[in-house]
Amino acid sequence: MVAPAASPAAPAPASTVPLKRRRAKSDDGVITVGRSRTGTILANTAGVVFSVLMLFPVYWVLNTAFKPADEVLALEPTFWPTSPTLDNFISAFKAPLFLKDMLNGVIVTLLAVAGALVVGFLGALSIARFSFYGRKAIILVVLVVQLIPFLSLLIPLFLMLQSADLTNSLIGVSITYLVLILPYTVWTLRGFISGIPRELDEAALIDGCTRAQVFWRIILPLTGPGLVATSVYGFIQAWNEFIIINTLNSPDKQNLMAWLLQNQTTRGTAWGPLMAGAIITSIPVVIFFLIIQRNIATGLTAGAVKG
Amino acid sequence: MSVVDSPATRRPSDPGRSRPNRPGHAAPKRRPRGSGRTPWLLALPALLLIAGLLGYPLVRMVVLSFQNMRLRELLSGRTPPWVGFDQYTRVLSDNVFWAVVGRTVAFTFVSVLISVLVGLGIALLMRRVSRGVRLFMVVAMMFVWALPQLVAAQIFRWMTDSDFGVVNYLIDKLPGVDYQNHSWFVNPWQGWSVITTLVVWAGIPFLAITLNAGLTQVPKELLEAATVDGATPWQALRNIILPILKPLIMIVTTLSVIWNFGLFTQAWVLRDGHPEPQFQTLATYSYTQAFGQSRYSLGSAIAVITVLLMLGVMIFYIRQMFRIGEVD
Repeated sequence: MVAPAASPAAPAPASTVPLKRRRAKSDDGVITVGRSRTGTILANTAGVVFSVLMLFPVYWVLNTAFKPADEVLALEPTFWPTSPTLDNFISAFKAPLFLKDMLNGVIVTLLAVAGALVVGFLGALSIARFSFYGRKAIILVVLVVQLIPFLSLLIPLFLMLQSADLTNSLIGVSITYLVLILPYTVWTLRGFISGIPRELDEAALIDGCTRAQVFWRIILPLTGPGLVATSVYGFIQAWNEFIIINTLNSPDKQNLMAWLLQNQTTRGTAWGPLMAGAIITSIPVVIFFLIIQRNIATGLTAGAVKG
Repeated sequence: MSVVDSPATRRPSDPGRSRPNRPGHAAPKRRPRGSGRTPWLLALPALLLIAGLLGYPLVRMVVLSFQNMRLRELLSGRTPPWVGFDQYTRVLSDNVFWAVVGRTVAFTFVSVLISVLVGLGIALLMRRVSRGVRLFMVVAMMFVWALPQLVAAQIFRWMTDSDFGVVNYLIDKLPGVDYQNHSWFVNPWQGWSVITTLVVWAGIPFLAITLNAGLTQVPKELLEAATVDGATPWQALRNIILPILKPLIMIVTTLSVIWNFGLFTQAWVLRDGHPEPQFQTLATYSYTQAFGQSRYSLGSAIAVITVLLMLGVMIFYIRQMFRIGEVD
């Protein structure tokens, strides 16, 4: 920002005061200390500049992907594709292994997420709805394993899967991904299940439901949104992973992320198709992410703020 | 959730009751619940998977670091020879390793510091801007946050490409600067500023949006009272907002430390999968030793040391989360 800093205490022109007051009130929690009109203009400018800077790389990948090949490698980059084309996307789809790796990625991700959801839900039910000796220990395990840098386990995992003949197989990777997303799944679902009032369980039990019926008719339906959010997060994790699959499997058994990596190392970089491939690979993740973003933020810091 | 009251209060009403529905099906299941076998049965699959694919590898990693596993042992399947602390002596007496440690620590410190400060600044800014601008900021950050790490790294690699990168083009436009064909990774300081920019850029959305959510919880009355009492915005920030926000800042900082300390993808991708010595971090170093040089045991020793270095931060985070997990 180059504009001279406004004195925060400068009084706002009289005509704008009522409007500003109302707006300030409708935003809950807005910090009203030092509000002034110039200050707001400055803040808005800063906010817009920040957003534009943040978005620039996103814009640049889109810009590149829709350019014809000669424009991608121009010494004077064009900031708006003058003749937008889908060539890069077509050549990405036609590139060797692109479709195969896409299918692999879908299979591996779905297997991992489905498995983690079933196993994780049962585990979450256990620590959220029962009190028993050892519950704390399970919670501790679930928390600790989330922090182990998974990459450091890659060496023994590789050796284990190698001796079980599960390297270069989609099954080996699926199981690995399942375990990778399992602790988070348990932890998040635990939060959703404990959010369901126990009184509901008890009322149902008194009305003559069995434990199994309580599960099927009350807990499961009420955890529905949580299951969706958790599985979407698991999907993102598994879809985005590339180091494990790149280490364990050969290129025809890898996923799209690993494909993006191969694309850079083997030949010189074909930037246009690479950026187009990057967009195709990101689309499901970005869409899913935007749907569930609230849960991701709260899951990581749950309870740190009362809200 | 209260740990004490649940089974005790529910059990008496339970066994004596007659169930109208499927008594034969439900009865045998019901009995062991009170004795506490059901929760273990429910948790069993998850525990087995975690034990088998996280716990056992963890043990194996430690064991491996006391052996000497090379390509020959891998291919023949023979038990690698025990070498005691040899791998550790080798690693710890290696100047290259200490350079990697120093670099990783320095990077973590700088990148977390910048990320948290900028994130906090943006969070405060979000409270100050008009509604439309705030929405724009959230949308912009959401897109950045949603991008896969690998894709983000590829975009930065493309933008800083020495021949056709837009960054060189834009900097070259500045008067008196010649950045044509400038290579960003010849000078490690420049290379690391690209990596740090990428990490900070990708990390801001989580920090800013989380901290902003925290800021909405700061009671407005407190701030109004402070204004009435003549507090400057800076004083309000220091004496009201930051103390209230402190637990959240601690947690996001801890998470950022854990994430950035494990830096792999960004350095790996920006250096085309072959990071030069000056761009190695602990994670890439362990990986290259194991999978590039087939020194699986040496790589494991480095991984063990990495985990040990992180232990303090991890314990702190777990204690915070554990406290929360008990409360609700």
